[in-house]
Amino acid sequence: MMKDLPQTVYVVDDDDAVRDSLRLLLKSAGLACEVSGAAQEFLASYDPAQPGCLVLDVRMPGMSGLEMQHELNLRGATLPVIFITGHGDIPMAVEAMQHGAFDFLQKPFRDQELLDRVQRALIRDTENRVRLRHTDRIKERLATLSPREREVLDLVTQGKANKMVAGDLGVSQRTVEIHRAHVMQKMEAGSLAELVRMMMAVAPRP
Amino acid sequence: MAGSNDKDGAAHDGTTQRARIIIVAGQSSQRTREVLYTLRGFTNVIWPPSLEATRAQTGSKDVACLVIADDLHEEPIDEFLQEARGLQRNLPIFVITDPDDVAEAVSAMRHGATAVIEIPPSYAALREEVARAIQ
Repeated sequence: MMKDLPQTVYVVDDDDAVRDSLRLLLKSAGLACEVSGAAQEFLASYDPAQPGCLVLDVRMPGMSGLEMQHELNLRGATLPVIFITGHGDIPMAVEAMQHGAFDFLQKPFRDQELLDRVQRALIRDTENRVRLRHTDRIKERLATLSPREREVLDLVTQGKANKMVAGDLGVSQRTVEIHRAHVMQKMEAGSLAELVRMMMAVAPRP
Repeated sequence: MAGSNDKDGAAHDGTTQRARIIIVAGQSSQRTREVLYTLRGFTNVIWPPSLEATRAQTGSKDVACLVIADDLHEEPIDEFLQEARGLQRNLPIFVITDPDDVAEAVSAMRHGATAVIEIPPSYAALREEVARAIQ
């Protein structure tokens, strides 16, 4: 099993004093921390494989925090983002949350408030990565199926009995049974229910 | 007369109803109530008298969206949001909240709100959100 990399809390804020105080705070809590003064600087060195979370200022010269969030979304990043701002309003907070922000915190905030949110964001990141690894494994198994096995899989996970699948595909019931056995083996599924759960896990979300 | 509505705007003549909105009234201000009621010209509005009635309505399939007004009969909005989200996973839910209460807005978003609208809600903003939701 792949060993997890240590988590890092990234801080992106154009204010030197805020960056320094956040670095001290996070380090005092035993958290690894990397700071950047601009969105572009962070994006240039961002490695999606690196687990952690991001503490991001909303208003920065050049690329704003919301624009940077958009860019991260385009890159398919799953890093939980905690926005911090001294000038937050409801439309801004709603926009950030609608685009997947983990949290939105107004300055000034208590140290513990931020640390609590960071801890929760790190837990969320771990959960996200476990889920992603799980769906990646399912996708790898799906890729090993033949086109006919994939058709059988789709039909049986729609709840169709072997006889109905045979009718739909114009093959014998015995052939369906053989394909189905191969599907169960290749997908490493112990039951139809488990197979359905696997397909739900990789289905596009609405 | 075809398509007649009762005093709450609900069609009851057996014809196909337009998508409905449920509004949780609570202790909303007069201004909020006025703005919410103007939506009746746009789609049907039901304003259940209690949270129990609201829960029952929210589970219905012909609900288009849910608008939670500023004071939810003194019940925590976040809990009700989660409950409503549990009743209908993809139901658009709008929360009307105090102006500048960013923390409450963020909390509502985290608990399943589709969007948060500040008091006093403008008719245009609310109509735009609702139109997008029921399309």
